[in-house]
Amino acid sequence: MTEKRIPHTDLDRLLDRLRGLGAVHAPTRDESGDVILAEVSPGKPVVLDYKNFPLSPKVFLLPQTQTLLRFTNGKPHEPAPVAGNGGPSQGDGRPPNRQAFLFGVRPCDARALLALDEVFLGGDQRDPYYERLRAKTVVIVLACTRPMSSCFCTSVGGGPSDEAGADVLAIGLEADLLLRAITPKGEDLLSSAADLLGDATPPAIEEAQERARKAADQIAPVELDRSAERLRNAYDSPLWGILSQKCLGCGTCSFLCPTCHCFDITDEVRGDVVRRVRTWDCCAYPLFTLHASGHNPRPTPKERWRQRLMHKFRYAVENLGRLFCVGCGRCIRNCPVSLDLRAVFRELGA
Amino acid sequence: MSASHEIETRLRETAEKLLREKRVDLFLGYEKASLPFRTTPLFLTSPEEVKRLAWNPFCTTNLAVYLPRLFKPPADAREAKTAPPPPTVGLVLKGCDTRSVVALIQERRVPREKLMLVGVACPGMVDWRKAERALREHEPLGAGEDAQGNIHVVVEDGTELTLRREEIVADACLECRSPTPSIHDALLGTPVEGKDPEAARQQTAAFEAKPLSARWAHLQETFSRCIRCNACRQACPVCSCCKECLLDQTRPRWVGAGTDISDVTIYHLVRAFHMAGRCTDCGACARACPMGIDTRLLARKVNQEVEDLYGYRPGEALDAKPPLADFAADDSQDFLTEP
Repeated sequence: MTEKRIPHTDLDRLLDRLRGLGAVHAPTRDESGDVILAEVSPGKPVVLDYKNFPLSPKVFLLPQTQTLLRFTNGKPHEPAPVAGNGGPSQGDGRPPNRQAFLFGVRPCDARALLALDEVFLGGDQRDPYYERLRAKTVVIVLACTRPMSSCFCTSVGGGPSDEAGADVLAIGLEADLLLRAITPKGEDLLSSAADLLGDATPPAIEEAQERARKAADQIAPVELDRSAERLRNAYDSPLWGILSQKCLGCGTCSFLCPTCHCFDITDEVRGDVVRRVRTWDCCAYPLFTLHASGHNPRPTPKERWRQRLMHKFRYAVENLGRLFCVGCGRCIRNCPVSLDLRAVFRELGA
Repeated sequence: MSASHEIETRLRETAEKLLREKRVDLFLGYEKASLPFRTTPLFLTSPEEVKRLAWNPFCTTNLAVYLPRLFKPPADAREAKTAPPPPTVGLVLKGCDTRSVVALIQERRVPREKLMLVGVACPGMVDWRKAERALREHEPLGAGEDAQGNIHVVVEDGTELTLRREEIVADACLECRSPTPSIHDALLGTPVEGKDPEAARQQTAAFEAKPLSARWAHLQETFSRCIRCNACRQACPVCSCCKECLLDQTRPRWVGAGTDISDVTIYHLVRAFHMAGRCTDCGACARACPMGIDTRLLARKVNQEVEDLYGYRPGEALDAKPPLADFAADDSQDFLTEP
């Protein structure tokens, strides 16, 4: 495990080096002053002192709109177009052979990539569209110093300086950025910039640990132990009906969620060319489970909202051995009616 | 003591009485939420629980959005046989929410006689995104209101900061022409004067003053941020209009499900056109949007057209006829013949 440091003042040089290898996506301000994750061109300031962006980095691996193939009279076009690495409304037709660096994403969002890997690469089927983008993605995680009151990463196995899902973990210190290689991809990255980096000193490592501890202390725990078992016993609890009464049935929670990955596939016909396109879908929508017969097995918000929670905290644990929640709190912060999933576990009791 | 606190006390008394005397089956209000600057809708059925009811500067949700689903007509004859009778519902309403209720009653989607309207004269509600932006790097831990109606915030290091209310209230509140409910069964709070009608026109006018290409560029930039989560549609009380929304139809699918700019543009244009003469400008759509899109811009424009042509403002009077549901021989027809 290589540990290096780079002075904050030299960060631009590091980013320039990465730009020579691929596209660099980093936290930066948009026109309205909000911090978003976007491709940063030389000279565009990167913001490291931010909370978290509304849209999670999953858009880079699972674009919201992704062309899977085009065909005419049942014959696919050659070569089949491959969806690329873009922002929320891009991700279509871009060359996928470019390396993408996700620089400065939060540990919760990086941890979520492991959940997505499990879905798209973990079983006996591998999703080639996801796989191609994933292989070309290097994740440089920035340890979190600004937990919000909606954050609960420490209750789902993560933490403000969690390494899960990271290729490199960066920790902001007073004068430097401490860089720790976690994976072979990360080692490669650090060695390709070796001339810019100094060695990490023991006091720097100690400072990093101290900062991580301080951030973790600010995060309020949620009682999520044995979530799968507790939910198994609560399938028929009246709680679902009570809490979901206020759910508006929009898809904000799942579209912003870094682990939600359900999608729909539709064919769009223009002339005699058919475009097969994959788009995000959401279990809060009635259409999600509507059968061709007209029957809907999840007819009301109660069943739909229960499904969302059961999937994340029970089925994923039972089937894949991992929680599909990283505690980023986006669903809590952005819910138009402030529906807070933490209430379920509080009400369920131990 | 803040004005809100007094209203909260009276609100609880009112709700308690309504529930205890069984004049309502359900009372819709707000309760404190888990995050600062927020409340969450509360569905009350028992008078013992009225202590949960809150009234503070964060009661933004337009509760009228829940009414159409509470009074949803049975889908077919079989369902009609087993359907329970419609409930009697009491609810807390600000000026904007009242306009929405009026629109719903006019469209016969909600029966007036089944409603118990507890109006509150509204001084404008805080937009949590504006408040958090005003706090910059600070993380709010708690927020409250002082006697002047400004917002006191305690942040992560224990410091207390004050945010001036007019700087963080929702955009729609800054342009609200009827903050005091026009119809109600009980009214709490001191009536608040409406904003100058010109306020609502300024932003639209500024947009219209731009050249066509700049307007189109602005719309495309705005729409390209949209993630099609449907929050604007779902948060809108009057946008539950159609039996099956055009955007949800799959046989055929009229609009692509993804974020291709043409599909997103159609989504927003369809919504705006369905809002002509119906949008009560409560701003719920804009507050619901997680991507910060000003969803009010287009709806407000078509609404202003309707006002100019027919002198009609949605949700202002129960006995007024919505122009798109009415015919008069002398209706303005200029727009039909204009080249």
